[in-house]
Amino acid sequence: MHPEQAQITDVQLLHAVARGDEPALAQLYDRYRVILFGLLARILNSREEAEDVLQEVFLQVWRRAADFDENRGRPFTWLVTLARSRAIDRLRSLASRDRTAVAGAQEELEQVSDPASDAFRSEQRRLVANALAQLPDDQKRALMLAYFDGLTQSEIAARLGAPLGTVKTRMRSGMMKLKELLANKSESFGF
Amino acid sequence: MGHEDYKEMLSAHALAALDREAELALNQHLSDCADCREELDRWNETAAALALAADPVEPSPQLREQILRRIKTEAQDARPDEISTSGSRVVSSQVIPFRRPTKTVWLPIGSLGAIAATLVFAALLVSLIMLWQQNRTAKIEVAELRNQVQSAQDELARQRKVLELLATPGVKMLELSGTNMAPGANAKLAYDKTGHAMLMAKGLPLAPAGKAYQLWYIVGDKPMPGKVFKTDGAGNGMLQDQMPAVALNSANFAITMEPEGGTQSPTGAIYLHSGS
Repeated sequence: MHPEQAQITDVQLLHAVARGDEPALAQLYDRYRVILFGLLARILNSREEAEDVLQEVFLQVWRRAADFDENRGRPFTWLVTLARSRAIDRLRSLASRDRTAVAGAQEELEQVSDPASDAFRSEQRRLVANALAQLPDDQKRALMLAYFDGLTQSEIAARLGAPLGTVKTRMRSGMMKLKELLANKSESFGF
Repeated sequence: MGHEDYKEMLSAHALAALDREAELALNQHLSDCADCREELDRWNETAAALALAADPVEPSPQLREQILRRIKTEAQDARPDEISTSGSRVVSSQVIPFRRPTKTVWLPIGSLGAIAATLVFAALLVSLIMLWQQNRTAKIEVAELRNQVQSAQDELARQRKVLELLATPGVKMLELSGTNMAPGANAKLAYDKTGHAMLMAKGLPLAPAGKAYQLWYIVGDKPMPGKVFKTDGAGNGMLQDQMPAVALNSANFAITMEPEGGTQSPTGAIYLHSGS
């Protein structure tokens, strides 16, 4: 990343996009494509679907950048939430159609981004990985099933053969612990 | 559900993991509770960190261009009621952050398709019946019109003949008046030097079946037969005839009702006559 670009914050980029600044969107894309595409690919398990949704996501960013309010959260959160939401929607519509195409695509996604360009993120990834490792297994599992498989609490309960109340507790506890563990490192989480 | 119950649902909501009814209930609560909205924002930050648990992956290089091309034709949404006075920052209000509040409901495609197909078929059937009825009506109307046109054409032809005759130099015209048999009847007779004659009668009663009106040329006291004619429903009749030469200078004419084949001598009552 060029030094002068790094000086423009994500907040400023989003504001610029809201004003119709196309290069600003391009820059935002360059900064976030790897994170967002990785997330989409993990959820959808298909390169084709993930690329489709990535386009939708950035179109949505273009359309609704004015919705972003920096008082309420970070650009990273806004973008990731938007991306995940669209991915879950797509996943659920796919699930009602054809499961086989989704399952077979795992091999395509081994390509990993250039670590040098991702250095800015790898610290954060390490922190998250560490935090998750510290969660009890059943709590971590509940969070992962919800986040990456798009399952609801009832669906998770059915999947695990556990009572709904238990799943609710695990999910709540897992989120509280994750929050605690990440709160200590909140400065390095500022994107 | 109490406020505490809602608070406990917030972290699951940040994961979009609430079941449908719970989600709806919470969204309802969130629209009224700023505290919970703020807390939800914080939970969203935590949930977003999980995105980093996914491995980074590069999308295809051409995607960048595709996206940049597509945004050129896309409009951006402004939310007019939320533009702050400073103009550069937009503050979004209590909208649940960036998530669709309800899950998509999918009907089985089969039932939707069947319903739609039935409706379409029913609509087509109705249209078809209506068209058929309209067609029948139209056919009747066309037949009616054709009759009217024919009558009009006939009438025109007659009138043209009359005009032609009347335009001939040396044409004579006289009137026949109705008898007791037809007090309101009236006729005009026009004929030229060659004996080419035309009779136009009005106000004659409709002749019964098998009967017709006959024109007589009265020469001396001897009636000579002319042609027969029938009237239309309005009592009007027209006749073209060739007068016998001997009658050209006679002045009397009469119309009687005779058998429709005509007779050599008058047998029926007189309806119209010239003279007194």
